[in-house]
Amino acid sequence: MTVYRIIPVGDQALSIEFANKIDAQVNRRIQSLGKTILAAQLTGVQAVIPAYHTLMVTFDGLNQTYKQLVQELQPIIDVGIAAPLPLQRILKIPVCYESPFNPDLADVAEFAGTTTQEVIRLHTQQPYLIYFLGFLPGFAYMASVVDKIAMPRLTKPRVEIPAGSVGIAGIQTGFYPVTSPGGWRLIGQTPLTLYDADHPEPFYHAGDLVQFEPISKTQFEKIKAADQAGRYKVKVVQKNA
Amino acid sequence: MPEIVVSKPGLQTTVQDLGRPTHQIDGFPSSGSMDRLASRLANVLVGNKDNAAVLEFSLLGGDLIFTTTTFIAFTGGDFPLKVNGQSISANRAFQIHQNDHLWIGPCRQGRYGYLAIAGGIVEPTVMDSRATTVRIGIGGHHGRALMSGDHLPIKTVYTLPAFAHRLAEPLTLPTSAQTLKVRVVKGPQWTKFEKSAQQQFLSQTYQLSSQTDRMGYRLSGKPLKTGVANMLSEATVLGGIQISANGQPIVLLADRQTTGGYPIIAVIISADLRVFVQCRDQQRIQFELVSLEAAQKALLTAHHRLDDLQAHFFNQRFKLPIEKTRSAAQRIQKLF
Repeated sequence: MTVYRIIPVGDQALSIEFANKIDAQVNRRIQSLGKTILAAQLTGVQAVIPAYHTLMVTFDGLNQTYKQLVQELQPIIDVGIAAPLPLQRILKIPVCYESPFNPDLADVAEFAGTTTQEVIRLHTQQPYLIYFLGFLPGFAYMASVVDKIAMPRLTKPRVEIPAGSVGIAGIQTGFYPVTSPGGWRLIGQTPLTLYDADHPEPFYHAGDLVQFEPISKTQFEKIKAADQAGRYKVKVVQKNA
Repeated sequence: MPEIVVSKPGLQTTVQDLGRPTHQIDGFPSSGSMDRLASRLANVLVGNKDNAAVLEFSLLGGDLIFTTTTFIAFTGGDFPLKVNGQSISANRAFQIHQNDHLWIGPCRQGRYGYLAIAGGIVEPTVMDSRATTVRIGIGGHHGRALMSGDHLPIKTVYTLPAFAHRLAEPLTLPTSAQTLKVRVVKGPQWTKFEKSAQQQFLSQTYQLSSQTDRMGYRLSGKPLKTGVANMLSEATVLGGIQISANGQPIVLLADRQTTGGYPIIAVIISADLRVFVQCRDQQRIQFELVSLEAAQKALLTAHHRLDDLQAHFFNQRFKLPIEKTRSAAQRIQKLF
């Protein structure tokens, strides 16, 4: 039994709230509910925005009221939370864990009391769920890395982190789509262009799984050149629910 | 190609429309006009749809040259306007001729002004919208604020039905002499604040700081005790009042991040958000708690006024005075 509640967020949005924790099953439910709600094309519904344990639904206050929308949503949610979860995609993202892309890898290894090779193995052994995108366009909040390498973020954030950098912040992991400031522990970099202002829509979305694949510096340069020429295709695998 | 040539761009002039709310799921700010009602009014005055792209001026105006005949209307903040050196009125449709020079002066009251052009600014859309998000460099004119020498694509428009009837009352603007009352509803984390903090939030007078941009406006007052530690990030909402770690509020606006981890004590009601965004630095503000029903009613009232205006223009389309450009309509008029 999945417990949820609906609360208004201003006069043109509402939030469907689930248990207050980072939980892959709950979040996958949220992702699939978001799709179901949009597909239902309810009057005035404008957009859905998932996060860890909440799903915001925004609506046009000129055509819809909170009370009415809650009544229309309730049966859709009740059916939705009992339905089987949809299939997931696993996107294989190449990452070079070598210098100069790994400024914090040695620190993470020391934190874990192990070797850098072991940190790389632990980081690449399993896929991570994209819980939601936020902060920056295409910035994916992914979790959970194994506790051993879940090193807290830097106390003093870096002023500039190169685009494509892959990092760890507690149990979260992720990549920086654009050059930006940030406090995550950087352990590698992907050669893929994650954000392109001319084609800004990301190729990954909330609800997808991401698995990192270690590559050498030579492969990094090759993939980077191929990607920029539009010749690199990200490997996608379907996973059963 | 009919265009607007930007001679002087102003301070932070951007192309805006109703934004791209459906792409927040991929982390893109919604963006769009800060004063939604003013940009809608400007569009209504020139016969555009609500989502037509307009120019949003912030504090300073600019100089624009039109290479074609069309109609314009300016609304929102109180900016002086001149065409070829002659003053013209805001809040009404005005016919522009080829090579006309539109000067928009510095804002006298309010903050944001909107220039609508018949047919809209027809820049290519990026993810369903022409709204500019300067922070991430997308939409509008090459993802940035206007610069001298820019050319903006528009349409040639010779006629505008009921042209002479297309005028409206100016929309309300805040005055610095008076404390502005801004109505709010309880936010998703309202109950996470202690009673005393809730009371303090509603009773004290806040002052708008100088840290104000399209992402958000910071207010200053006696700090609130937040009492919410380690909140999981959630989607943000337009007009949400976030209480930061220092106890001071930030009102989240059009270019806000799509998710955030600070508690939202209250949300400014949609009907009052437009007056709030028109506030200048140092403006004194008091929040007043209202019910969700009252908020919905206020929003409907504000927009019904514009619906009525639209219906009025439609009904006046064959009535005198008929402008000289509508020669056919004038001949029809003579038959009766």
